[in-house]
Amino acid sequence: MTSYGLKQRLSSVAVYIFLGVMAFLSIFPFLWMIIGATNTTSDIIKGKMSFGEALVVNATTFFTQVDAPLIFWNSAKITIIATVLTLLISSLAGYGFEIFASRFREKLYTLMLLTLMIPFAALMIPLFMLMKQFGLINTHLAVVLPTVASAFIIFYFRQSTKAFPHELRDAARVDGLKEWQIFFLIYMPVMRSTYAAAFIIVFMTAWNSYLWPLIVLQSNDMKTITLVISSLGSAYYPDYGAVMIGTVLATIPTLFVFFAMQRQFVEGMLGSVK
Amino acid sequence: MSDVTLRDVRKSFGVVEIIKGVDLDIKSGEFVVFVGPSGCGKSTLLRMIAGLETITAGELDIGGNRMNEVDPSQRGIAMVFQSYALYPHMTVRENMGFALRFAGLPKAEIRKQVDEAARILELEPLMDRKPKALSGGQRQRVAIGRAIVRHPKVFLFDEPLSNLDAELRVHMRIEIAKLHRDLGATIIYVTHDQVEAMTLADKIVVLRSGIVEQVGAPLELYDNPANLFVAGFIGSPKMNFLKGVVEGGGAGRADIRLPDFGGAVVPVALKGEAPAAGAPVTLGIRPSQFTESGDAALPVTVDMMEHLGAETLIYARSSASDLVTIASQSRPDIRLGDTLTARFPSSGALLFGADGKRIY
Repeated sequence: MTSYGLKQRLSSVAVYIFLGVMAFLSIFPFLWMIIGATNTTSDIIKGKMSFGEALVVNATTFFTQVDAPLIFWNSAKITIIATVLTLLISSLAGYGFEIFASRFREKLYTLMLLTLMIPFAALMIPLFMLMKQFGLINTHLAVVLPTVASAFIIFYFRQSTKAFPHELRDAARVDGLKEWQIFFLIYMPVMRSTYAAAFIIVFMTAWNSYLWPLIVLQSNDMKTITLVISSLGSAYYPDYGAVMIGTVLATIPTLFVFFAMQRQFVEGMLGSVK
Repeated sequence: MSDVTLRDVRKSFGVVEIIKGVDLDIKSGEFVVFVGPSGCGKSTLLRMIAGLETITAGELDIGGNRMNEVDPSQRGIAMVFQSYALYPHMTVRENMGFALRFAGLPKAEIRKQVDEAARILELEPLMDRKPKALSGGQRQRVAIGRAIVRHPKVFLFDEPLSNLDAELRVHMRIEIAKLHRDLGATIIYVTHDQVEAMTLADKIVVLRSGIVEQVGAPLELYDNPANLFVAGFIGSPKMNFLKGVVEGGGAGRADIRLPDFGGAVVPVALKGEAPAAGAPVTLGIRPSQFTESGDAALPVTVDMMEHLGAETLIYARSSASDLVTIASQSRPDIRLGDTLTARFPSSGALLFGADGKRIY
């Protein structure tokens, strides 16, 4: 083997080792979660890394302590409404920022981007007060409303809209479409990859949302799966086995969404319009 | 009636005026081509006729009706875009029928009209394909089909062939010419390709910086350009412009001395009086006008040659380094660096004043 061939081979081996380590680091939490779901709390604390026999016990504990259909329904309802509204409102805003020129456009856009720099901790109390004034505390609407105009998703849609062919809009205008029809009948289907990527981001964020729901949802029948998982166990110590079961179940919808839209997600992140 | 009339039409973006008062009469059934260099406003003018850009001032009439404030879909126009602008999520059939569906036509009627357009453009085997499964030429035919089904009064083409390769461009050019002949519709066509302009147009509108420089039939513009810009823009290779000074002359003739060509004097035929002696002028000679039997002679040195098969282009320089392009139909036995006498008939030379306007 020539020294060049040897070098190539060694570099391939190094790349594979690196990728293998990174893949392991990514998969490990999932693996630990699945193994944990079959072990008792004490085994999990000890760091046991093999499948145990406590799956049925953990599942029984979980389904005894949790009204699973209600809690999953709460999570699903909030996530779906938040996702649909966020995509609709933020994509409209992103489209508007890119397509329609105005003297104030860039100033307004910069101002909006600056809001990304405000940490959520600084917004919690004013938001809570606002929701209280509207009488929305302990309602799902209070969880959904602050998320629907997402500065990041607006930014993402504006950037993606730069790749939207303006001649399509012109052709649609000549064909007799009004602005709102162009948005719904032309822009949305053409930008489906962008929507798919944004859908996954928003869906996962809404589904996994913890802090804000914890603040505004106060009664047990209104809570979401993420809130319920964290409170599983007795008053003195958490039941990690049941937590792991809950976590596995809570992961399934996001996994399903991700795998269902994986191809469009990649296209959307790369900014392709086809 | 599908006449298009523009009266002092202007367009400004903020304080910048892009279209500076265009007056134009386009008769029903005419094929009019807007040509000009990049940024001259030809596409903007077309978009103003389409209703995709507002008209800042002036009046636009289509078919005798004022259209300034009318929605694009109500103007009786159909537009074919440079990038085709086909809806990528729709099939060819859906793309072609989309405007009709939107106009509320019954499904059977839409199908009939789309099938008819597909037959004319030979698109039948492609009707269920999406645009991404089509070649550039096919996409362009679909874009034209989408325009045809609307039965517009006026077709607007915005550089429709510029994304195609040279061979396909020639083919599509012929297709568009045939289409015009068959449909008899009014067509306004924007291009920067003067071959397209010369071959397709009944009338060419030459634009520069938002101003119409000249309007006329292709050969009229070629033979009788109104100014230096049109003379230089129409015709390929470009017309030669030689700096000169009026030596003398009178009614119907001016003697032009060319200081950069050894003081050669060219007698140019005029309709009117010769300019005053000593006035600076520019002599225009097309490369194809050089011939061995010409009465005017320019001493030049061969700088570069291009053998194109049917003709040979000789790029030569005067003693003062002025470039002259000579198109020869024969294959002359000359080499780089050779000195030769380029001859042309003085009757074919055009004269332009210092302001760039033609002196007739």
